[in-house]
Parts: sequence; structure tokens; C-alpha cells
Amino acid sequence: MGEVVCEPPNNKLDKFSGTLYWKESKFPLSNQNMLLRGCVLRNTEWCFGLVVFAGPDTKLMQNSGRTKFKRTSIDRLMNTLVLWIFGFLVCMGVILAIGNAIWEHEVGTRFQVYLPWDEAVNSAFFSGFLSFWSYIIILNTVVPISLYVSVEVIRLGHSYFINWDKKMFCAKKRTPAEARTTTLNEELGQVEYVFSDKTGTLTQNIMVFSKCSISGHSYGDVFDVLGHKAELGERPEPVDFSFNPLADKKFLFWDSTLLEAVKMGDPHTHEFFRLLSLCHTVMSEEKNEGELYYKAQSPDEGALVTAARNFGFVFRSRTPKTITVHEMGTAVTYQLLAILDFNNIRKRMSVIVRNPEGRIRLYCKGADTLLLDRLHPSTPELLSTTTDHLNEYAGEGLRTLVLAYKDLDEEYYGAWAQRRLQASLAQDSREDRLASVYEEVESDMVLLGATAIEDKLQQGVPETIALLTLANIKIWVLTGDKQETAVNIGYSCKMLTDDMTEVFVVTGHTVLEVREELRKAREKMMDASHSVGNGFTCQERRSSAKLTSVLEAVAGEYALVINGHSLAHALEADMELEFLETACACKAVICCRVTPLQKAQVVELVKKHKKAVTLAIGDGANDVSMIKTAHIGVGISGQEGIQAVLASDYSFSQFKFLQRLLLVHGRWSYLRMCKFLCYFFYKNFAFTMVHFWFGFFCGFSAQTVYDQYFITLYNIVYTSLPVLAMGVFDQDVPEQRSMEYPKLYEPGQLNLLFNKRQFFICIARGIYTSVLMFFIPYGVFAEATRDDGTQLADYQSFAVTVATSLVIVVSVQIGLDTGYWTAINHFFIWGSLAVYFAILFAMHSNGLFDMFPNQFRFVGNAQNTLAQPTVWLTITLTTVVCIMPVVAFRFLKLSLKPDLSDTVRYTQLVRKKQKAQHRCLRRVGRTSSRRSGYAFSHQEGFGELIMSGKNMRLSSLALASFATRSSSNWIESLRRKKSDSASSPCGAADKSLKE
Amino acid sequence: MSEEYISVTCRTKMKRISEDYQSRVPDNTALKQQQLPAYRLQLSATGILSGFFAAGAFCLGMGIILILSAKSIKEIEVKYTKICANCAELREDATNFDKECTCSIPFYLSETMKGNVYMYYKLYGFYQNLYQYILSRSNSQLLGTDLKDVGNCAPFSNSHDGTPIAPCGAIANSIFNDTIILSYNLNSSIPIEVPMLRSKITWWTDKYVKFQNPSSINLSSAFAGTTKPPYWSKPVYELDEEDPGNNGFLNEDFIVWMRTAAFPTFKKLYRRLNRIQYFIEGLPAGNYSFNITYNFPVTRFKGEKSVVLSTLTWSGGSSLFLGLAYTVTGAVTWLASFSMMAIHLMLKKKKMLFIQD
Repeated sequence: MGEVVCEPPNNKLDKFSGTLYWKESKFPLSNQNMLLRGCVLRNTEWCFGLVVFAGPDTKLMQNSGRTKFKRTSIDRLMNTLVLWIFGFLVCMGVILAIGNAIWEHEVGTRFQVYLPWDEAVNSAFFSGFLSFWSYIIILNTVVPISLYVSVEVIRLGHSYFINWDKKMFCAKKRTPAEARTTTLNEELGQVEYVFSDKTGTLTQNIMVFSKCSISGHSYGDVFDVLGHKAELGERPEPVDFSFNPLADKKFLFWDSTLLEAVKMGDPHTHEFFRLLSLCHTVMSEEKNEGELYYKAQSPDEGALVTAARNFGFVFRSRTPKTITVHEMGTAVTYQLLAILDFNNIRKRMSVIVRNPEGRIRLYCKGADTLLLDRLHPSTPELLSTTTDHLNEYAGEGLRTLVLAYKDLDEEYYGAWAQRRLQASLAQDSREDRLASVYEEVESDMVLLGATAIEDKLQQGVPETIALLTLANIKIWVLTGDKQETAVNIGYSCKMLTDDMTEVFVVTGHTVLEVREELRKAREKMMDASHSVGNGFTCQERRSSAKLTSVLEAVAGEYALVINGHSLAHALEADMELEFLETACACKAVICCRVTPLQKAQVVELVKKHKKAVTLAIGDGANDVSMIKTAHIGVGISGQEGIQAVLASDYSFSQFKFLQRLLLVHGRWSYLRMCKFLCYFFYKNFAFTMVHFWFGFFCGFSAQTVYDQYFITLYNIVYTSLPVLAMGVFDQDVPEQRSMEYPKLYEPGQLNLLFNKRQFFICIARGIYTSVLMFFIPYGVFAEATRDDGTQLADYQSFAVTVATSLVIVVSVQIGLDTGYWTAINHFFIWGSLAVYFAILFAMHSNGLFDMFPNQFRFVGNAQNTLAQPTVWLTITLTTVVCIMPVVAFRFLKLSLKPDLSDTVRYTQLVRKKQKAQHRCLRRVGRTSSRRSGYAFSHQEGFGELIMSGKNMRLSSLALASFATRSSSNWIESLRRKKSDSASSPCGAADKSLKE
Repeated sequence: MSEEYISVTCRTKMKRISEDYQSRVPDNTALKQQQLPAYRLQLSATGILSGFFAAGAFCLGMGIILILSAKSIKEIEVKYTKICANCAELREDATNFDKECTCSIPFYLSETMKGNVYMYYKLYGFYQNLYQYILSRSNSQLLGTDLKDVGNCAPFSNSHDGTPIAPCGAIANSIFNDTIILSYNLNSSIPIEVPMLRSKITWWTDKYVKFQNPSSINLSSAFAGTTKPPYWSKPVYELDEEDPGNNGFLNEDFIVWMRTAAFPTFKKLYRRLNRIQYFIEGLPAGNYSFNITYNFPVTRFKGEKSVVLSTLTWSGGSSLFLGLAYTVTGAVTWLASFSMMAIHLMLKKKKMLFIQD
């Protein structure tokens, strides 16, 4: 019987404390013993474990935050407006009720001869009270109940369009885009901040050996016949590695000259690949003869060893003391003397091996910044050409490593090994001592060359980011990765560029440090903007936004990189605004080493203080909290598990689809929804307010203007479908244009198309229409007679005239609002008019009257009224007077203050701009700042693990005895390691957390 | 172990999902890809401006035509509430209902009213459009099918003894019951009664569809079991005893009254000129007088009544309002189009520059 006593479930990913009671002994349990949910076992087939927390109690789920009901800003605005409208309704009711009370008092009492009051009504006041409720019922059509249904239908339609979009279908993974919620579509057109995860979202988490420089010669570029650098896509066949039976089929390389050099037996090239096959901490596994599997602790290393494998230097197997390499077909076993392990400060690793001839050699690979200083100064030309190559690689966004070696003689090595042993046994400051011992041997090395690894971005990532940036969307990368990796990806995604004035890096460990760093960054930005001068700083900003600081108008481009531990301080209540101001003044923000909860906190911070729409995109379980927190969560599907997708509102399989989701679908959704809402409020006000005006002529007796059937059918049948069709299908500019002119996205961010102002304009238009709709027929009917001399101004004819002109006016209006007339729009608009007249004549037919004389009281009205020229002249005049101002206003707006979308539509010179745009998007090679990084995702401690042999396959019989022999040593060293170092051999657990 | 188990189930699930995906390749149809062939509505400057000019021209033209035709109408209105003040006073007291009061109003027609002449009565301040008033009628009763159906007729559905009223309801009860006779003084001595037609003053559908007498041997027996409305002096089957086609519910004056007016001031057709003898051309100029049997009380609700003689044009007896409204609209539209054109032309250069930028 064992028992585990531990802390209650919590969200701290880096801490765990508990005790295991097993057979009357106690074992402490710490974070090193924990595997978090979602971990993947590497380098071992199996392990024993005990589930401590499951389901929602796991640390990862505790990090995922609460699920909140998401609503769009338009939804919230709509609710407010509906409340206002309700207030307006009550106001109208009160006015009319007062009117009724007065009327009954002045006129109604005397009119009682012809129409006595109901028995219950004993005073004008009570009559007014009853009239209030009657008017609330009659005028309730201003509160658009069908609005909510229609809005949902439209959103559903937009969601289907997203699901159906072929251009967002990933053929490789056969995954279509999916709108998992149908309530957020129009918010996609208002996004201002995008929070992106890195691995799996921006990058594919695949490292590719892309280029190398060997003793001053650069390989990897492909040249076409004329000697120009070939572009991607027009590359010839990849290099054929068939000579090598152990080659990895998936490895692709295009420059065949490198293979030729290897085959020619160029010693530098051989030594280069030998280094790659020896100097690493990769484990190999050979399930069947020739079927090699590498288990690399970092994908960078895996890529390098795989490259060496294909070029004929196959790392075959290792024991704690040996490494076996197949060099051009012959097996060579090197004796492994020492691994000088990687750490963040050293930024390099070395191995010391003894080759079969007995020569001892140190192989080293590492970051150029550190390694180039430790070279033997004998070959300056080689150094400078290699440096040029490094610059070139870095300019292409590749991760570079410099390789070097050094021969050691036997005596020196013996003495050094002794010093190393002493250092490793030291009780205090062991790390420092070891570092200085390593430092000593890693000097005066001979430069071999450099490698360049491509951290493969997802397809189209830089283009997407560039486009979104042009659309004024700010992109923040929140990653669990190390700072170096994140910054490097920032450069290769074109989020960071060397044109930037400065990239601020905040890495402070204490509150004060962080505050100081943020303050400095702000000061620098302020200084710069002052020195540039005020004329230059005026940026187009939202007029309504009085955002807290001058920093908004900062000139120049800045970027902010902040570390997780600094972020923890920056997110504290007293500093969060400072942080937000600083971050928002920067063009790009990268947060690295952040926990899932911090991701959510950052999103929450922006959400809370910026009043902007946020979108979070990610693929893993660690992005769930951020996805849930943001206004819109997007999950990358088909990568690693489905938690992110399950928590998301939209999912697709490629980051690049984000541009289509936002710039095309989101923009259209927003546009359509806004147009829909404007029209909907307009038509209901135009419809209902007529009753209000009529109240003044019918003694406020709550008599409706229209036939009851018209009132019932107006919203459902006569006017619903055309506006629905517009809400679903409308387009202002073709989809290609919204990609070419990302600025078209801005109205959504600035909330220009539907806000309170627009609402009041719609209402005003509706009321204006209702006034004309009532008073023009009133003016005509008051005196006129029909062409056979009979009375024209009977109530029923008036009702039919007003109803007909209303249906015609709102149909013309929707016709003007519809920018994109598909067959469906035609069908619905003409169909609605046709249905109106059909129903009108049916309702007023003799047959229905004969059956239900008390229900269909308008018998014969349609044919009698609509046969009158005066009636049609009235309808025409009403239509003209209602529509002309709208058209005139649009014309003036087009002439005086055209929107970008108007301009795009009217511009004939589209081609010109398109070309300019493309020029902007083309990749520009950078030549400066080199960001060499050795194995960015690498962890310390593996060297020791390998040397101990603990992670070697125990099934291997030859090693079994060795393992038992050395196990005690290993355990001891591990314990030591644990006690004084943060990173440990069990880093696998951390690692498999993905980032 | 459990880890592995989970990964295995995951994998099978993935496989299943991926098979689903095969069928989830979006269809390449115009509808689903939002590529439906469509006409993009573009309001071009020339289109709008020509539309405005055309609309302005139409409105102006129409306005002038309507004004001219409205001017050609001859109309004469005689308000007789005040002139017949003694009758009005008499009618203020409902108990005097059986006392007859007549009133003669002479007037001079300076110009001949050519063509068809229509005589209307016009009421001021009579609310035929009150909610309760409009509802207070029974169409099934008026259709003759169910005389006892007085359900909607409150407060005039049954008499005190419970017999249903025919025709029931507030509308029928308040019928306009003045008699107006127009006489022409050819010479100063003998007045001639101007021949008037009391037929074809209603819609065809009203007369032949909406109103039907109950079928019986004679009307009085058909209406047996019902009583007259309280304000009526005679039952419905005695409205026009000379012409059976104009009696009972089919009485055209009754039908005209039953078509309720939309506004508190309204005129209803009373008689048409019968163009015979002296009146073939219409009403010749001369001295006339209205001989009015004053029954309908209006002073109680501070209303007024008048009698109107009028001719018609092609569009009916339209007032000036429509013509004026058209003219004003046309003028404003033209003004607007001229200023819009000016703005457009001024900005054209600027716009070109803007596009070229």
C-alpha cells in the first residue's frame, strides 16, 4: 500500500510538493517528479506513473480559465438600443395617453352621444390610462422582436460561409475551416489585437537544415542556369541520396554541390559532417536494420544530425563512453571522453572524443557571438567570409551555428580532465568552476564552418502578418518558448525588422527592475518622438479615443520583448497600466516564457483597458485559457490535440487563413450586420411612427393606421426576406480587394458602421419617412374625391394607400442598400412586393369576405383604391420624397467624403495600386543583425545524462551490466543536480509541455 | 501505460475524423464560395444626376398638370350650422327629436358648373375614426345572413328590451339624416327642384358584396324581430320606400355613411346631378337655394356641417395639395440636382488627382 499526500489542485505549473509513503518509507515529491497533462514520452518506450490529478483538477486545466459566455459588442450595443427604444416607446405611450385624456376631456365627453364611453371608463384620466396600454401594444413594433431571430439567422449564414470556404480548406490535412460558434461573426471585422501562440501556430515546429558554410564556401543556395538565385517553387529536383542506404527519405536538400564535395572527399567537408554526427545529445534507435530513428531533445539538433546522416556521416548508436558513426559506409567508433554540456550562458556545447587512431579532438558548436571570439586567429580570411555567410543566413531568418574543432594532446587532456573532475566535485559554486574549466579548453579552436537551420514557419505567415499589420491589427506573440527563439521567429515573421528604431527587452526579475525597464523604454520613445517633431507624429487615430498617454502618437517603430518572470510583475495591479501603455506604443510585442494563465492575463488586460476587440489564436492545450479569454478564440486544428479547437470559436488548420477570416469574412460579416441593423431599425420606425401621427387625428383612440393583417405580416412576410438576403449575401467590394487594400478593415475597428450615431441617423430617417408617409396622404385625402365623385378619404382607402407606399418605399430603400444584387436578392425583393399585392388582393377579395364577414372587413378595398390615379400619384410622390434625400445624401458623401471602399469601387486605376502593394509585401533580405542561436529549444543536462548512460536502452544486453554498474553514480549526480539547479535531466517533462 | 492507451484511442479517433473530413471538402459552388453572379449596385454620378433631373421634370410636369386640373374644378361650399342657428339650437336638446325644422339657404352661382355636378355633405369635427366607433358594426348582419349577430356592436347592439338592433352599432346609429334639396330659381318666382340622382354614389363592391338585405317576401317581415337604432326616426326598411333597390341595408346613403372616414373632417357624396332639362350642361349660373331639413345635431360636439357642390376632373376632385406638393418637390429636386452637379464638377478635378495619388 502506497499513499501520496500532496497539495490541493492549483494552477502553478512550476511547483509541486507532496510526499509518497511507500513500504513505510517517505519519498519527497517535487515538480521534477511530475508529468503534466498533455506530455509526450520521449526516448523511452514506457514508464510507470501514478495519476495524481485528473480531469479538471490537472494543473493544465486549472490554467485554462473559466469559460465565459461570449457576446459581440454589437450584441451589447443592440441590447442597449433596444432598451432605449423601449423607453422611447413608453414616452410615446405617455404623450399619446396625455393627448387622449385631454381629448376625451375636451371633445370626447361631448361626443358621447354618438359613442358613449365604456361602462368601466368614468373619467378622461382613466381613458388616458387605458389608451396608454393600447398604444404600448400598437407601437410595440418599434421594439424589434424579430430582430434577434434575424440576427441569428444572418450569423448562421455567415458561419456556413466560413465552413464552406474552399480557400480556407487545408488540402494537406483535409480540414475545412469551422465556425464553432455562430454568434461572433461580425466581431471578426473589428479585431484590433491578435494574440498568437508561436509553436504550431506561426511555426510548424520543424527544423530544416537549410544552408551551410564550409571553410568559406556556402552551400544551400540553388542557382538556375543563368546563375541567378532560384526562388522557392522553381527549384529543380532535390539532391539524390540513394547512394546512402541509411539516408532519411524525408530529408530534402537542393544544392548538389555539397554532396559532390562530400563524395570528392574534401577533408573540411568530412570534418564538418563528422562534427555534426558526434557533437550532440541525440539518442538513436534502430528498430530494424537500417531503420534509424533519432530522438532529439531539441528539433535543431535532430535536423543537424539528420543532415550529417544523409551526407554520409550516419550517427548509428551510442553508449555512455562511445559513439558509433558510419562514415561514408564504414563504421567508426569514437571514444567519448567528455560532453561539455550546453547552457544558456555558454550557448555552446562541445564533445571531446578519441578517434580510432587515438587522436583526441574537441568538437564544438555554438552561437557565433561567443564562438568566433574563441577561434585561433590564424585564418582571418576564412573568419570574414564565414561571418559574411552568417550575416546572409541571419538575413534570411535562419538560425545559425558556428562549428569549430581543436586538437588536444594526451597530456593536456589528462590534466584538464583532472581539473574538471575536481571542479565537478566541488561543493560550492560548482557551476562557475565547471564553466571556467570548459572555457579553458574551448579556446584557440579552428573554424570549420557554419550551419543554418530554418525554423519552418507555417505557410504564408510573414505575408499574413504583414497584411494584418497593414490592416492596423496589432499582433502580439505570447509563447512559452525562450526569448531567443521567440525573437528569432519574430524576425523571420517580419514582426521585428532591423528598420525598427529599437527593440526593448524586459527581463527584470524584481518589480523595481521591471518598472525601471518599462520607464526607460517609454522615455526613449518619448524622446525620439520629441526630437522628430510634432508635425511628423500625427497619426490617424480614432477621434473618440482619448487614450491615456502621448505614447499613442509615438514616432518610429518599436518592439517590446518581455519575459515571463518580468511579465508576472508587469501584470500586477499597480504596474499593468504602465506595461499596457508601453506595449501598445510598440508595433510588435513578444512575450516569452509565459504560462497559459499569463497568456490569458495579458489578453484580459488589453480587453479591459483598451476597449478593443481581441483575437487569440493557438493550437495547444496551453492556449486554451487565452482562447477562452479573448473576444474571439481561434484554434489551429489538426496539429497537436484538440483542446484548443474545442475551446475555440473558430478553427482552421493554417495561420494564413486568419487573413481571410478577418479581412474577408469578418469584414463582410461586420458590414452586412451593420447594414442589416440600420435598415431594420429604419423600417420599423417608418412603419410604426405612422400610428403616432395618426393618433393626433383620431382622438388618440389607439386606432391603427393599417389593417391588422398588414401589421401582422409586415415584419414577417413583406420586409423580412429582402433584408435577410442583404444581411447574408451583401458585398461592398470583391474579396480580392479587401486583401489588396487592408485599410478597408479599419471602419470595423473604429466601429464606424453601426454605433449610436448611426442608430440615431437610422431612427431619424425612419421618423422622417413616417412623417411623409402619413402627412402626404393626409394632405391629399383631406379634400380629394375619387374620379366617380365618391368619397376618397375613407379610413380603409387611407390604410391601403399608406401601407402600399410604405412597402414600396422600404423596398426601394433596401434596393438602394443592397450593394450586391444576386438572383436571390432579386427574387426576395421583387417577390416581397409581389407577395404584398397578392396578399392584399386576396385579403380584400369577395370570397374571403363571404366566409368571414367580420374578419375581412376590407372587402373590395384594394381594387377600388388602387384603381384611383390620385392614390398612385400619392404613392409616387411619397416614394420620391422619401428616397430622394437619401440618394442625394449618398451622392454628396461620395463626392465630398468618400470612404475607402467607395474609392476602391470607383477607382479605375486599381492595377496601379495592386502592383505597389505587392512590392511592399515582397520579402526584403536583411543584411544586418545576426541572431545566432544554438539550439534554441535546447535544455541543459543532457550531456550528463548521456555520459551516465542512464537513458540508454536497458534492453541492450551489452549495456545492461554497465548500467547497473554506473547507476549509483548517476543517482548521486542526479540528486546533486536537482538540489542546486533549476533545469534537470527530467527536463523532458518540461519540454514535452511543448514550450 | 495509461498515456499510451490514450494515445491509441486518440489515434483511432483521429482516423475516424479524417475519414469524415474526406466528405467535408467544401463544395465548389458559387453560392457556397460567395461568388454568385451578381450586379454590383454602383451609383454613378451621371446616373444619379440624370435620375434627379428626370424625377424633377416629372414632378414639375405632374405638379403643373394637377394644379391646372384642380383649378378647373368649380366648387361651392355652404356652411349651414350657423345660418340655421335656430335649428341647431333646437337639435341641442334630444327631446325635440320629433319637431321638424327646416332651413333654406339661398345662394348665387356666378359661373356655370359644367359637366357632372356632385353634392356632398361635409362634417367638421365628427370622429368617424375612433377605435371603438370603427369597430362598432356587424358585417354579418349587414350582409343579411345573420340579423341577430350584434356581437361587435357595443354599445348599440340591443335595445332596452333586448331585441337586437338592425343595423346595429355606433356607426349606423349616428347616420347623417339631414335632407338637402337644391332648388333653382329660374325666374325670381318659381323655384325648380334640381333633379338629383341618389344612385351610384357608393362603390360597386359595397352595394353588391358588402351589403345585402335579408331575403324574405318583403323587407318589413325580413327585419322582424329587430328594432331600429335609437337615434333613427324610422326603421331601416323604410329608408326609401319608393325604390326597393335602395331600401334596407342597400340604401346608398346608409352605405355611404357606413364607409367610415379617415379624418374628423370629411365630406361624403350625397347626390349626383341628373343632367336633364335645364341641367344637361351642368348647373347653370343663377340663384339657387338649399332647402335643408335639419335633423343631425353637430353643435353638441362643437362640430359644423356644410353642403358642397363640386365638379370633377380626370383624377377626381383633387385639391390643390397634390399639385402643389408635386411642384415643390420637382423644384426642390431640380435645385438639388443643380447644386449636386456643381459640387460634382468642382470636385471632379480634385478626385482625379486623389485617385492618381
